Amino acid sequence: MRAHHLNRRRFIQLTGWGLGAAALSPALLSACGGGASESTGGLLIGTPDTPIRLPLNRDPIADGLAPESGTFRVYNYADYVNPDVVEAFESQYGVSLEISTYTTEEEAITKLRSGAIEADLMIGMTDASMALLMAAQLVQPLNRSYLSNFANIISGLQDPYYDLGSQYTVPHVIYADGIGYRTDRDVDTTVFAGREGWSALWDSRYRGRAGILDSYRDSLCMSMFRNGLTDVNTSDRAVVEAAGSDLADLVQAVNPQIDILSYQEIPAGNRDIALCWSGDMLAGQGFLPEGADPSVLGFWYPPETITANDFFCVLTRATKPVLAHCFINFLLDVDNALLNQTYVGYQPALEAVTSDLLIERNGVPESLLSALVTPDRYRSGRRLVNLVPEVDEMWIDVWSEFTAG
Amino acid sequence: MSGQSSPPADRRIFWPGLALPGSLWLAIFFVVPAYTIACVAFGQVDPIFRDAVPVWNPLQWQFSDASEVLGSVVGGPLRSVFLRTSFYVIAAVALSLIIGYPIAYYLARQEGVRRTILLALMVIPFWVSFLMRLLAWVNLLEPEGLASRFLRLFGIDQQWLNGNHLTVILGLVYGYLPFLILPLYASLERLDWRLIEAARDLGASSSQAFRRITLPLSRAGIAAGTVLIALPMFGDYYTNDLLSRSPRTEMIGNQIDFFVNASSQKQKGATLVLVLALFLALVMSWYLIRLARVRREAS
Repeated sequence: MRAHHLNRRRFIQLTGWGLGAAALSPALLSACGGGASESTGGLLIGTPDTPIRLPLNRDPIADGLAPESGTFRVYNYADYVNPDVVEAFESQYGVSLEISTYTTEEEAITKLRSGAIEADLMIGMTDASMALLMAAQLVQPLNRSYLSNFANIISGLQDPYYDLGSQYTVPHVIYADGIGYRTDRDVDTTVFAGREGWSALWDSRYRGRAGILDSYRDSLCMSMFRNGLTDVNTSDRAVVEAAGSDLADLVQAVNPQIDILSYQEIPAGNRDIALCWSGDMLAGQGFLPEGADPSVLGFWYPPETITANDFFCVLTRATKPVLAHCFINFLLDVDNALLNQTYVGYQPALEAVTSDLLIERNGVPESLLSALVTPDRYRSGRRLVNLVPEVDEMWIDVWSEFTAG
Repeated sequence: MSGQSSPPADRRIFWPGLALPGSLWLAIFFVVPAYTIACVAFGQVDPIFRDAVPVWNPLQWQFSDASEVLGSVVGGPLRSVFLRTSFYVIAAVALSLIIGYPIAYYLARQEGVRRTILLALMVIPFWVSFLMRLLAWVNLLEPEGLASRFLRLFGIDQQWLNGNHLTVILGLVYGYLPFLILPLYASLERLDWRLIEAARDLGASSSQAFRRITLPLSRAGIAAGTVLIALPMFGDYYTNDLLSRSPRTEMIGNQIDFFVNASSQKQKGATLVLVLALFLALVMSWYLIRLARVRREAS
């Protein structure tokens, strides 16, 4: 998927939650079991170090209900589900599926809170928004009896740190930050090893043919990784400012474009190298000129990078919660997930969707095998977690100074 | 006491009453939004959802964020953005005048069907969405685009879309040119051409007639067209977004877009909107004073 990724990342900036603010009520605290939780500003935030089991805000729907009829409403990013998948679901359940779209997670939550949007199922939110979804009581607990394909999910993601036990969410796709490049251009791939690989973007030979993400945390973190720093949620102003300064050097060296369009620009041949998300290059196959060899696309990411996933959730005000469960289950089916991948590009978070399968079934070129995020590599990646407001503002200030030129 | 009797009461109500719809329109769609922006700029932020919380009572406004933004505009990173934006707008307006004035002049000298056809030909391309036209530019100017490849044949190998100041200025000119030409044309079309003939009869060269007759009499049109394009150019962000996407060409509109749409600091975006509005109000005041002076001179 493309544009929404920026927004996903953008949303992470919204995750400052009141430093050392009011402690949770004892009742709520007692409801949180299984691992430590961090309470800030009355929000329940899980981190990889302090995973969280969220309290149930209501009972899940009962077992054995028949799927509803009529129009089933999905709230999703634009172009983030394959129309063929939609058609197959509609045909199987005899319903019509209506998609409303959002561009940022912040926008989505605002509209859902205000009631401007009513939907049954939401696709594309990330762990960074989990606490807000809970605080606004926008999501309802899932009934696993409708999710017979749940076991297909990558085992490490069946119990995610932001929602232990997957009580409210089901992982959808996974991806990693890395460098997308053209294999048919003069790109020095020998540097792609360890953190040194990030320096490729500072190589002036790519001047005018490079890009970085228009996402302050991803781009600043890339700069930090290059310098051997791995605390992607740091509150150290000096570290973030140094990263911003490095990015300014990057502008001097290669004058990159700052956007989220590498999934188009690299396939089109307008860009040789760029910081992008792994899914961008997988999706990029669809943007190659007709007849072009997909092996011109390459992707590299080191162990020290950002990995992430987004998820499905059923909304509290869903009028068709059974269908919502059915749709999640439908997309947890390997065949349907593969069909969806051919359109959205991003890698389904399913154990069976291996490199071999993607090559065999979806024609992913071998040059893009490195864009596939294995469960091990997903686990080893760094996670962008919520920042407290002051820290988040500091990151934004540094980015704003950088973009101001 | 004057000898005139005062107008009947119904007429005293009727004529001012005609201004009521316009006044209401302005109140609803200008005054209220402007006040709301101020309430956001000087308001608070929801501690949980990070939404801007407007504070409607001016007595409760807080100015800490606003003063921070103002400090940045005066002596911080935003100063260069403001200066760059001003430079782009001045350059784009100047270029628009150089291109647009002869076109408007030529159109005004035509008559009948020919004039109508030429006017239509000028306007028709602008029926296509600005966004689509800019995207066409992107396709043409990207490294593998038709225009870039063609120019390379002549040894012109430019990175048009990577923070190129010229591209952004040309994009602004391209987008706003018709809005300069039309008021200029309206101004020139009303010009009494007999004055120019008289000047020529009295020995003035064509350039002297232009400088001393045509240009002064079209000043109101120039001022109107200039203001009409300069105001939106100052707030423009998509031209730079589409044609550059580089910090080297960041405009003030891009910073507003970032703060409002891509950060949790909407109040800073609102403050920037106010700062820009204040700046533009000064430009507008200049325009109004200038217009009044031109009218005085004309009468």
